[in-house]
Amino acid sequence: MFTNRREFLKTTAALGGAAMLPYSLAMGADAPLMAIARWKGDENAPMMEVAEKLTVEAIRAIGGLEPFIKKGGTVWVKPNIGWDRTPEQAANTHPGVVKALVRLCYEAGAGKVKVGDNPCNDIRKSYQNSGIEAAAKEAGAEVVYLDRNRFREMEIGGKRLTSIPIYPDIFESDLVISVPVAKHHSSTRVTLCMKNYMGVVENRKKFHQDLPYCIADLTKFMKPRISVVDATRILMDHGPTGGDLNDVKITRTVAAGTDIVALDAFGAELLGNKPELIGTIRVGAEYGLGVIDYKSLNPKEVTAA
Amino acid sequence: MRHPRRPRSWMQWTRRVSQAVFLLLFIGLAISVRLGDASSPGWGPRFFFDLDPLTALATALASRSMEVIAWPVVVLVVVTVFLGRFFCGWICPLGTVHTLATALRPRKPRAADNRRSPWHRVKYVVLVALLVMALFGVHWTGIFDPIPLMFRSLTTFVLPGAQYGIEDSATAVYQADPHIGPARATWITEPVYRFFRNYVFQVDRQALDGGVFIAFWFMLIVGLNFWKPRFWCRYICPLGGLLGLLARKPLLRLRTKEGTCTGCGLCAMACPAAAQPDQPGQWLPSECYGCWNCVASCSRGGITFSFAKAENGKRPTVGEVDFSRRAALGSAVAGAIAVTGFRQSPQAQEVVYNPWLIRPPGALPEREFLQRCIQCGLCMRVCPTNALHPCALEAGLEGLWTPRLIPKVGYCEYNCTLCGQVCPTGAIQPLTVEAKHQVKLGLAMFNKNRCLPYAYDRNCIICEEHCPVPDKAIYFVEEEITRRDGSKIVLKRPHVDPDKCVGCGICEWSCVFRDEAAVRVTSANESRNNANQPILPGESGDSPY
Repeated sequence: MFTNRREFLKTTAALGGAAMLPYSLAMGADAPLMAIARWKGDENAPMMEVAEKLTVEAIRAIGGLEPFIKKGGTVWVKPNIGWDRTPEQAANTHPGVVKALVRLCYEAGAGKVKVGDNPCNDIRKSYQNSGIEAAAKEAGAEVVYLDRNRFREMEIGGKRLTSIPIYPDIFESDLVISVPVAKHHSSTRVTLCMKNYMGVVENRKKFHQDLPYCIADLTKFMKPRISVVDATRILMDHGPTGGDLNDVKITRTVAAGTDIVALDAFGAELLGNKPELIGTIRVGAEYGLGVIDYKSLNPKEVTAA
Repeated sequence: MRHPRRPRSWMQWTRRVSQAVFLLLFIGLAISVRLGDASSPGWGPRFFFDLDPLTALATALASRSMEVIAWPVVVLVVVTVFLGRFFCGWICPLGTVHTLATALRPRKPRAADNRRSPWHRVKYVVLVALLVMALFGVHWTGIFDPIPLMFRSLTTFVLPGAQYGIEDSATAVYQADPHIGPARATWITEPVYRFFRNYVFQVDRQALDGGVFIAFWFMLIVGLNFWKPRFWCRYICPLGGLLGLLARKPLLRLRTKEGTCTGCGLCAMACPAAAQPDQPGQWLPSECYGCWNCVASCSRGGITFSFAKAENGKRPTVGEVDFSRRAALGSAVAGAIAVTGFRQSPQAQEVVYNPWLIRPPGALPEREFLQRCIQCGLCMRVCPTNALHPCALEAGLEGLWTPRLIPKVGYCEYNCTLCGQVCPTGAIQPLTVEAKHQVKLGLAMFNKNRCLPYAYDRNCIICEEHCPVPDKAIYFVEEEITRRDGSKIVLKRPHVDPDKCVGCGICEWSCVFRDEAAVRVTSANESRNNANQPILPGESGDSPY
């Protein structure tokens, strides 16, 4: 439908209507959108509530999901459900973020919202112990247990990756929203929105010999339009698996936006890294997927309580 | 010759319904083991194992403990003594498979097929030999016992095969997407696929190493029904033998009404057990399954099962079990010889340990483990990662079809305790998640001639990423190396901390090499074996001097 990001953004800005108008005027019609929601409420509020409210605020601040969602279309919400870990261990996306996002998709007119990942650990244990299966179902999503035999080899024409088996249901969705948790990663230092796309493929083990280019190739092929970073609590060390609560930092933040590189840069900074030193982010910028200096986008700072 | 029309018998139909219900229950419970709550296997097919007196008796003998004897066994034993071998005819799921196979015979059994034969005693020979073996700690009843045999067969090939057939057929249609105009074949196949995917199978199918031999054994014993009806139940089944010995003088007996029998032999033709219903006073209760076929077959209605005594105050006489003291002694000697034979290997005598024999978490020390494991395959079925597989000879002939972990196929999930929760005999002890985290299954080792950062100067470190130990049993050291062209790069080279490694095998599973992983787990350091601990815990001393 859209041949490039610029055209897409122009159209969405036009379709966005009154709600988006002031923001569009301030930023220029083709400017990427980005918002950061921080918690200013009770520190003892349950994280589920914090996560849900922050997600709602962050999405509202970028003008809602309506411009991205085809009426009656299918949305694949792609959290990081990589590991058999509990929500407080910060190895997977917080279920509250996923739940709020699924609801927002339906409110924005989605016909069907699917949630699924290709985990590293057992799929059933990861879905259940992460709390995501229950939360997503509560919000009305279809939770999909990927069938390993359905992956389809696709030509992606990247620099490093030419073809890779991709899960067809994800690829064929009208919109894929990458919604990772921000965490440390022993190979790439951080894992965020771009690296989260590794959950839509199989045969990904050889990526590790050149993760930045493989991830950027895949991200480019998936044409991200909107991503959400769950930084309600982040994993500072021993990632991507974690498991020790001493490695977890409570940050109560959710960021959303259309520039995947900027979001990753924001997340990397939150994890205590210089974004320009992260391979995936550097190559993402090199590929033109976004900008490293996320502050140059004037991200909208909002709060929730 | 035309078959005369059989009179109806509502008991025969009740028995058929009972068989169908128990078979479907057995299969349903086997399917349910992999559904729903990922931390609890639910009720599982435990009921059938708790009902199995052969498993209970042999496990009690082998492990010298009574804890394996559950109350359903006691109920079944008491009921069998009074009512006969009705378990074989009404409950046993394998018996039902044999009933179905017998019904598919191209040729209906003749009276000659169903005569008493010396082969009947083979099942008693098998029973006594197996029990003697169990007494000496070789627990082999599971190879023959219909409940473990049936469950193992379902687990290793029937259910994975069904899933393969349904899912891959649907996927083939999905990928080819044949259509005529707007009509697509996937309109039919996809809902079917989704139904099975969402409600029956849910997760990816298993593929079990060596399952083909278990399949062969199963096919063979099912195929034998074409030779003689219910060949297995009649001649081989040691559980049938045990129940038969219990049912020598039941209260419920076959009675032939005076003056009705014309010697037509219809009842003998209908009897799958060859229990001689056609010879009044010589009916064999130790062979009879109580199936009611003979009652239904008698065109004169002359045969009944009855508790009643005759006018002389006695119950009808019955035929004797054909198993002499001499045969029993011979069987016992054969069992003892088998034990001795099985033990003649360096591994059985614990001179060496098989590096690739990695037992499930919570498995007892090898000797005690073998004294309890009934090779049922329940742990393999419940294992979410397809990590557990039936041994061929990795644990000796003694350990045939006992579970072992093959990390390259599936690793042991760090937070999973399902195998210990389902094990019907306690060969795998139930563990809490906290206790399980302390259990070592083995130890990882790197093959530096394969591992990418060592052998091919490439970064990789997937194993370190996957290591589930919170502070990582696999760690890496950054080393600067010189490449072929003289340029320098930094490589992350992995190492194992033997104090932290739990031997779960996820490193081996995740290794980029799919033929032979560059990191492998062997049984060294396994918690259950004090003699297989080559590594002194704690750091090495600073100096060799």
